[in-house]
Amino acid sequence: MNIDMDISVDIAGIVMKNPIMVASGTFGFGREYSDFYDINKLGALVTKGLTLLPKHGNPPPRTYETPAGMLNSVGLENPGVEKFIEKEWPHLSKLTTPIIANIDGDTVEDYQKIAKWLSTLENLAALEVNISCPNVEKGGLAFGQDPESAFQVIKAVREATNLPIIAKLSPNVTHIQTIAKATESAGADAISLINTLLGMAIDIHNHQPIFRRTFAGLSGPAVKPVALRMVWEVYEAVSVPIIAMGGITTWQDAAEFILAGASAVAVGTANFINPRAPIEIIEGLKTYLCLKEQNLQQLIGSAHGGRHLTY
Amino acid sequence: MSTPIVSLAEIIQNSEIAPDIYRMELQAPEITQKANPGQFLHIRCSDTVSPLLRRPISIAQINEKTGNMGIIYRVVGEGTQLLCQKSPGSRVDIIGPLGRGFPLPDKDKTSVIIGGGIGVAPILYLAEKIAQQHKNDNSITVLLGFVTKQEAFGIEFLESLGVKTIVATDDGTLGYKGFPTDLLDKYLKMHQDISRHVIYACGPKHMLSRVKTIAGGKNIPAYLSLEERMACGIGACLGCSVKSTQEGYKKVCKDGPVFEAGEIDLD
Ligand SMILES: Cc1cc2nc3c(=O)[nH]c(=O)nc-3n(C[C@H](O)[C@H](O)[C@H](O)COP(=O)(O)OP(=O)(O)OC[C@H]3O[C@@H](n4cnc5c(N)ncnc54)[C@H](O)[C@@H]3O)c2cc1C
Ligand SMILES: Cc1cc2nc3c(=O)[nH]c(=O)nc-3n(C[C@H](O)[C@H](O)[C@H](O)COP(=O)(O)O)c2cc1C
Ligand code: FES
Repeated sequence: MNIDMDISVDIAGIVMKNPIMVASGTFGFGREYSDFYDINKLGALVTKGLTLLPKHGNPPPRTYETPAGMLNSVGLENPGVEKFIEKEWPHLSKLTTPIIANIDGDTVEDYQKIAKWLSTLENLAALEVNISCPNVEKGGLAFGQDPESAFQVIKAVREATNLPIIAKLSPNVTHIQTIAKATESAGADAISLINTLLGMAIDIHNHQPIFRRTFAGLSGPAVKPVALRMVWEVYEAVSVPIIAMGGITTWQDAAEFILAGASAVAVGTANFINPRAPIEIIEGLKTYLCLKEQNLQQLIGSAHGGRHLTY
Repeated sequence: MSTPIVSLAEIIQNSEIAPDIYRMELQAPEITQKANPGQFLHIRCSDTVSPLLRRPISIAQINEKTGNMGIIYRVVGEGTQLLCQKSPGSRVDIIGPLGRGFPLPDKDKTSVIIGGGIGVAPILYLAEKIAQQHKNDNSITVLLGFVTKQEAFGIEFLESLGVKTIVATDDGTLGYKGFPTDLLDKYLKMHQDISRHVIYACGPKHMLSRVKTIAGGKNIPAYLSLEERMACGIGACLGCSVKSTQEGYKKVCKDGPVFEAGEIDLD
């Protein structure tokens, strides 16, 4: 079988040798998973969310298992942009795979400052603007739930950088298409979705929510159908490329998202269960395309096929 | 810290050693060679997405000759229930060795090791390792605590190593009636020269808190093995945090599970 087949993609100028990325917050800054395989084989690597100042994150517990999924309330623990550049960028910049920095702010100005600062890095491939983090007090999710604020954040970042911008959307909205269109018109070069779904769990022995912040973010196989539906909807609403995530665990999952309209996909929670999941997905996808005798471009969005019966 | 490995380890044995407590022997020579006492394995208990996450279980024994590794676990939920049903000859997906284990004592030190309940598991390998290094019989004392006699395990193993072992049970059905931390108090009262002592502990949180207080009061260095819910187990998700006495949090899976008592806030 010809497993050397070309599955490269170019998303807004981010040239990736394959459409498999790793999702923000599930891969640290790339150090841990380097123990298991050559991470240069990934299509791209997205960093943990970065804020202007360091963040300690939320008190424990931070994770809780649910049927086929997990809730997390990490709260964007990260070293801040300055420490990131000092401590993590030196090793990240040596990788040959494109590095995408995920950024998060309390205010529009924060986003702008981080974007400016990161734009000074040579070789940084893009910014993924997280307007969808459910686990922080300020900013985050609030920006992603209102089309006007979503527009403002992306527009501000657009003014601050020449790097490609990926707007990362939240699933915790009524009309995902409206938000997607707002970010597209503000200048987003691509859209990624979904971030985690708001959920919660209650301790039945002490009658209290498990998490100190009550709500937490649901991820893993359990969210896949919801993510798939939203990717489908966004594909019909915008013309910028889509990066899909939400429960992708196998190459079959990845193929479904591509058929729904994703140009690339990111593996998140699945890394925790199978550290080699992204590599296995890359191989599986190559074989699948090979057997179908189709190239990746032909597959993207091809499940829409003219049948536009949504709801 | 050594590089962790993913292995499909063959199960050599899996048997109940006390009610709901199992000992599983695994063949994973590449992990065995690198393992230190206090490190753990991250085990995938199911081939499906239910339960989704791996389960952290301490390395309890290492047989350097056979390359086999022993874990001892209590069946408490879905994951450990699936684990106890696995038969010898089948394979289990493990990642290890993970985390920072117990730092071994200098040659002139006297070790006091405290284990409570299932927390006795990693203590077995630690005691064996220290016993190999220190030929002097008085250089290690192990204090074990169990709820009741039926749940006790590991005592024969420790005695076979020639390690002085004192047992406490909550109900007094075996050994001293009370907690292993009571034994620690007594031990420290009986020994005048505690300046060269070092304490190691693994067990429930309230036990670790008590050990921290006792050790702190006497200025004895203490190393505690902690538990926290985990997702990745390798330091990537920041999901297993414990409060640091400095600023912020530490990761149980990567900075621990063994911490110097002064590093972490247990309240
Ligand atoms: C570093 C470390 C070493 C451990 N070593 C051992 C050991 O040697 N023997 C042993 O019996 N147990 C050990 N444990 C505890 C063991 O991981 C849990 O008992 C086990 O995960 C329970 O899984 P379950 O599916 O049977 O239970 P469930 O209750 O169904 O588990 C549900 C979720 O809670 C988590 N969880 C439940 N209890 C604990 C706990 N005490 N600590 C952390 N997460 C928990 C599980 O991982 C899972 O995500 C250790 C834990 C840690 C962190
Ligand atoms: C532990 C954890 C931490 C995460 N941290 C971030 C983050 O910092 N920034 C972000 O944009 N998304 C973050 N996410 C969301 C993921 O990137 C992804 O969008 C989501 O988990 C859905 O994909 P999955 O089901 O494959 O995990 C995090 C997810 C998890 C599970
Ligand atoms: S479990 Fe992921 S960082 Fe510790």
